[in-house]
Amino acid sequence: MSEFSNALSVSSSGLLAQSQRLRHLSENIANADTPGYRRKTVPFRTIMDASGTPGMVQTGRVRMDQSELTRIYDPAHPMADDTGSYDGSNVNLMIELADAREAQRSYEANLKMFEQTRQMGRSLFDLLRR
Amino acid sequence: MDIQALGAVKNYTAARPATEPAPGPKAGEYLANITRDFAATLQESEDTAKAAMTTGADPHTLVQALAQTEMAVEAAVTVRDRVVEAYQEILRMPV
Repeated sequence: MSEFSNALSVSSSGLLAQSQRLRHLSENIANADTPGYRRKTVPFRTIMDASGTPGMVQTGRVRMDQSELTRIYDPAHPMADDTGSYDGSNVNLMIELADAREAQRSYEANLKMFEQTRQMGRSLFDLLRR
Repeated sequence: MDIQALGAVKNYTAARPATEPAPGPKAGEYLANITRDFAATLQESEDTAKAAMTTGADPHTLVQALAQTEMAVEAAVTVRDRVVEAYQEILRMPV
Protein backbone atom coordinates (compact mmCIF):
# COMPACT_ATOMS: atom_id res chain seq x y z
CA MET A 1 0.00 0.00 0.00
CA SER A 2 2.66 2.50 1.00
CA GLU A 3 4.86 1.48 -1.95
CA PHE A 4 1.93 2.19 -4.23
CA SER A 5 1.34 5.58 -2.72
CA ASN A 6 5.09 6.31 -2.94
CA ALA A 7 4.98 5.43 -6.63
CA LEU A 8 2.00 7.74 -7.05
CA SER A 9 3.89 10.57 -5.33
CA VAL A 10 6.97 10.08 -7.50
CA SER A 11 4.90 10.00 -10.70
CA SER A 12 3.02 13.08 -9.65
CA SER A 13 6.28 14.94 -8.93
CA GLY A 14 7.43 13.97 -12.45
CA LEU A 15 4.19 15.34 -13.91
CA LEU A 16 4.63 18.58 -12.01
CA ALA A 17 8.26 18.95 -13.09
CA GLN A 18 7.41 18.35 -16.75
CA SER A 19 4.61 20.87 -16.65
CA GLN A 20 6.94 23.45 -15.12
CA ARG A 21 9.42 22.72 -17.89
CA LEU A 22 6.68 23.24 -20.47
CA ARG A 23 5.80 26.54 -18.83
CA HIS A 24 9.34 27.88 -19.26
CA LEU A 25 9.47 26.55 -22.81
CA SER A 26 6.33 28.45 -23.71
CA GLU A 27 7.88 31.52 -22.09
CA ASN A 28 10.87 31.11 -24.39
CA ILE A 29 8.69 30.68 -27.46
CA ALA A 30 6.53 33.66 -26.53
CA ASN A 31 9.62 35.83 -26.15
CA ALA A 32 11.39 34.58 -29.26
CA ASP A 33 11.14 38.04 -30.83
CA THR A 34 11.85 40.06 -27.71
CA PRO A 35 15.12 42.00 -28.14
CA GLY A 36 17.75 40.99 -25.59
CA TYR A 37 15.79 38.00 -24.26
CA ARG A 38 17.89 35.04 -23.14
CA ARG A 39 16.27 31.64 -23.28
CA LYS A 40 15.63 29.97 -19.94
CA THR A 41 16.65 26.41 -19.20
CA VAL A 42 15.19 24.32 -16.39
CA PRO A 43 17.44 21.84 -14.60
CA PHE A 44 15.89 18.75 -13.01
CA ARG A 45 17.16 17.26 -9.81
CA THR A 46 16.21 14.49 -7.44
CA ILE A 47 14.92 15.59 -4.06
CA MET A 48 17.55 14.47 -1.56
CA ASP A 49 15.45 15.00 1.49
CA ALA A 50 14.95 12.43 4.22
CA SER A 51 11.48 13.74 5.06
CA GLY A 52 9.84 13.31 1.67
CA THR A 53 9.33 10.28 -0.53
CA PRO A 54 12.71 9.18 -1.91
CA GLY A 55 13.31 9.60 -5.63
CA MET A 56 10.97 12.50 -6.28
CA VAL A 57 12.05 14.94 -8.98
CA GLN A 58 12.04 18.70 -8.71
CA THR A 59 12.94 21.58 -10.98
CA GLY A 60 15.90 23.59 -9.78
CA ARG A 61 16.76 27.26 -10.27
CA VAL A 62 15.98 28.52 -13.74
CA ARG A 63 19.16 29.39 -15.63
CA MET A 64 19.67 31.82 -18.48
CA ASP A 65 21.29 30.51 -21.61
CA GLN A 66 24.47 32.59 -21.90
CA SER A 67 25.04 31.90 -25.58
CA GLU A 68 25.39 34.90 -27.85
CA LEU A 69 22.32 36.89 -28.82
CA THR A 70 21.52 37.04 -32.52
CA ARG A 71 22.37 40.32 -34.19
CA ILE A 72 19.51 41.56 -36.31
CA TYR A 73 20.18 44.15 -38.96
CA ASP A 74 17.44 46.75 -39.00
CA PRO A 75 18.58 50.39 -39.08
CA ALA A 76 14.98 51.59 -38.63
CA HIS A 77 14.64 49.82 -35.27
CA PRO A 78 14.68 52.21 -32.28
CA MET A 79 17.25 50.02 -30.48
CA ALA A 80 19.63 49.81 -33.43
CA ASP A 81 23.18 50.99 -32.71
CA ASP A 82 25.49 52.82 -35.12
CA THR A 83 26.11 49.65 -37.15
CA GLY A 84 22.37 49.50 -37.81
CA SER A 85 21.72 46.26 -35.96
CA TYR A 86 20.39 45.31 -32.52
CA ASP A 87 20.47 42.33 -30.16
CA GLY A 88 17.63 39.91 -30.73
CA SER A 89 16.90 36.92 -28.47
CA ASN A 90 18.94 33.72 -28.46
CA VAL A 91 15.86 31.53 -28.73
CA ASN A 92 16.01 28.89 -31.44
CA LEU A 93 12.44 27.90 -32.22
CA MET A 94 13.50 24.50 -33.54
CA ILE A 95 15.21 23.63 -30.25
CA GLU A 96 12.26 24.90 -28.21
CA LEU A 97 9.75 22.88 -30.22
CA ALA A 98 11.83 19.72 -29.97
CA ASP A 99 12.19 20.30 -26.23
CA ALA A 100 8.44 20.86 -25.90
CA ARG A 101 7.78 17.60 -27.69
CA GLU A 102 10.17 15.84 -25.34
CA ALA A 103 8.45 17.37 -22.33
CA GLN A 104 5.13 16.14 -23.68
CA ARG A 105 6.47 12.62 -24.14
CA SER A 106 7.96 12.56 -20.65
CA TYR A 107 4.68 13.82 -19.25
CA GLU A 108 2.85 11.01 -21.01
CA ALA A 109 5.35 8.49 -19.67
CA ASN A 110 4.78 9.72 -16.12
CA LEU A 111 1.03 9.63 -16.66
CA LYS A 112 1.32 6.06 -17.87
CA MET A 113 3.27 5.09 -14.75
CA PHE A 114 0.62 6.75 -12.59
CA GLU A 115 -2.13 4.82 -14.35
CA GLN A 116 -0.19 1.59 -14.11
CA THR A 117 0.37 1.99 -10.39
CA ARG A 118 -3.34 2.52 -9.88
CA GLN A 119 -4.15 -0.49 -11.99
CA MET A 120 -1.71 -2.67 -10.07
CA GLY A 121 -3.22 -1.59 -6.77
CA ARG A 122 -6.69 -2.29 -8.05
CA SER A 123 -5.82 -5.77 -9.28
CA LEU A 124 -4.22 -6.51 -5.92
CA PHE A 125 -7.48 -5.72 -4.18
CA ASP A 126 -9.38 -7.74 -6.79
CA LEU A 127 -7.27 -10.69 -5.72
CA LEU A 128 -8.30 -10.13 -2.12
CA ARG A 129 -11.95 -9.88 -3.09
CA ARG A 130 -12.13 -13.36 -4.60
CA MET B 1 -11.73 -46.20 25.43
CA ASP B 2 -11.08 -44.04 28.47
CA ILE B 3 -7.39 -44.09 27.90
CA GLN B 4 -7.87 -43.12 24.29
CA ALA B 5 -9.98 -40.10 25.29
CA LEU B 6 -7.32 -39.10 27.80
CA GLY B 7 -4.71 -39.33 25.07
CA ALA B 8 -6.80 -37.11 22.82
CA VAL B 9 -7.08 -34.47 25.56
CA LYS B 10 -3.36 -34.64 26.14
CA ASN B 11 -2.68 -34.27 22.44
CA TYR B 12 -5.00 -31.28 22.30
CA THR B 13 -3.29 -29.51 25.17
CA ALA B 14 0.08 -30.24 23.61
CA ALA B 15 -1.00 -28.81 20.26
CA ARG B 16 -2.55 -25.68 21.73
CA PRO B 17 0.63 -23.62 22.10
CA ALA B 18 1.31 -24.13 18.40
CA THR B 19 -1.92 -22.39 17.45
CA GLU B 20 -1.50 -19.53 19.92
CA PRO B 21 -1.24 -16.11 18.29
CA ALA B 22 2.30 -14.83 17.89
CA PRO B 23 3.30 -12.15 20.41
CA GLY B 24 3.05 -8.68 18.98
CA PRO B 25 0.38 -6.11 18.34
CA LYS B 26 -3.12 -7.53 18.58
CA ALA B 27 -5.46 -7.57 15.60
CA GLY B 28 -7.46 -4.80 17.23
CA GLU B 29 -4.39 -2.56 17.40
CA TYR B 30 -3.63 -3.26 13.75
CA LEU B 31 -7.16 -2.36 12.80
CA ALA B 32 -7.02 0.81 14.87
CA ASN B 33 -3.77 1.83 13.14
CA ILE B 34 -5.19 1.11 9.71
CA THR B 35 -8.34 3.05 10.49
CA ARG B 36 -6.28 6.00 11.71
CA ASP B 37 -4.19 5.94 8.52
CA PHE B 38 -7.34 5.71 6.46
CA ALA B 39 -8.92 8.68 8.20
CA ALA B 40 -5.70 10.68 7.76
CA THR B 41 -5.59 9.88 4.03
CA LEU B 42 -9.21 10.94 3.61
CA GLN B 43 -8.64 14.13 5.56
CA GLU B 44 -5.56 14.97 3.49
CA SER B 45 -7.36 14.50 0.19
CA GLU B 46 -10.29 16.58 1.41
CA ASP B 47 -7.93 19.39 2.38
CA THR B 48 -6.16 19.16 -0.98
CA ALA B 49 -9.46 19.23 -2.86
CA LYS B 50 -10.58 22.23 -0.86
CA ALA B 51 -7.29 24.03 -1.53
CA ALA B 52 -7.54 23.22 -5.25
CA MET B 53 -11.04 24.63 -5.43
CA THR B 54 -10.49 27.77 -3.39
CA THR B 55 -6.85 28.81 -3.78
CA GLY B 56 -6.08 27.13 -7.10
CA ALA B 57 -3.50 24.71 -5.73
CA ASP B 58 -1.62 22.44 -8.10
CA PRO B 59 -3.98 19.99 -9.87
CA HIS B 60 -1.30 17.28 -9.87
CA THR B 61 -1.41 17.16 -6.09
CA LEU B 62 -5.19 16.93 -6.21
CA VAL B 63 -5.15 14.03 -8.67
CA GLN B 64 -2.51 12.23 -6.62
CA ALA B 65 -4.42 12.72 -3.37
CA LEU B 66 -7.65 11.51 -4.97
CA ALA B 67 -5.96 8.43 -6.43
CA GLN B 68 -4.47 7.62 -3.03
CA THR B 69 -7.85 8.05 -1.38
CA GLU B 70 -9.46 5.85 -4.00
CA MET B 71 -6.96 3.10 -3.20
CA ALA B 72 -7.45 3.52 0.53
CA VAL B 73 -11.25 3.40 0.24
CA GLU B 74 -11.05 0.37 -2.00
CA ALA B 75 -8.79 -1.41 0.49
CA ALA B 76 -11.10 -0.54 3.37
CA VAL B 77 -14.20 -1.70 1.51
CA THR B 78 -12.53 -4.97 0.52
CA VAL B 79 -11.41 -5.69 4.07
CA ARG B 80 -14.86 -4.82 5.41
CA ASP B 81 -16.50 -7.14 2.90
CA ARG B 82 -14.18 -9.95 3.90
CA VAL B 83 -14.81 -9.39 7.59
CA VAL B 84 -18.58 -9.37 7.14
CA GLU B 85 -18.36 -12.47 4.98
CA ALA B 86 -16.34 -14.30 7.62
CA TYR B 87 -18.81 -13.24 10.30
CA GLN B 88 -21.73 -14.56 8.26
CA GLU B 89 -19.82 -17.76 7.71
CA ILE B 90 -19.56 -18.17 11.47
CA LEU B 91 -23.28 -17.42 11.90
CA ARG B 92 -24.18 -20.08 9.35
CA MET B 93 -22.07 -22.70 11.10
CA PRO B 94 -24.18 -25.69 12.14
CA VAL B 95 -23.95 -26.07 15.90
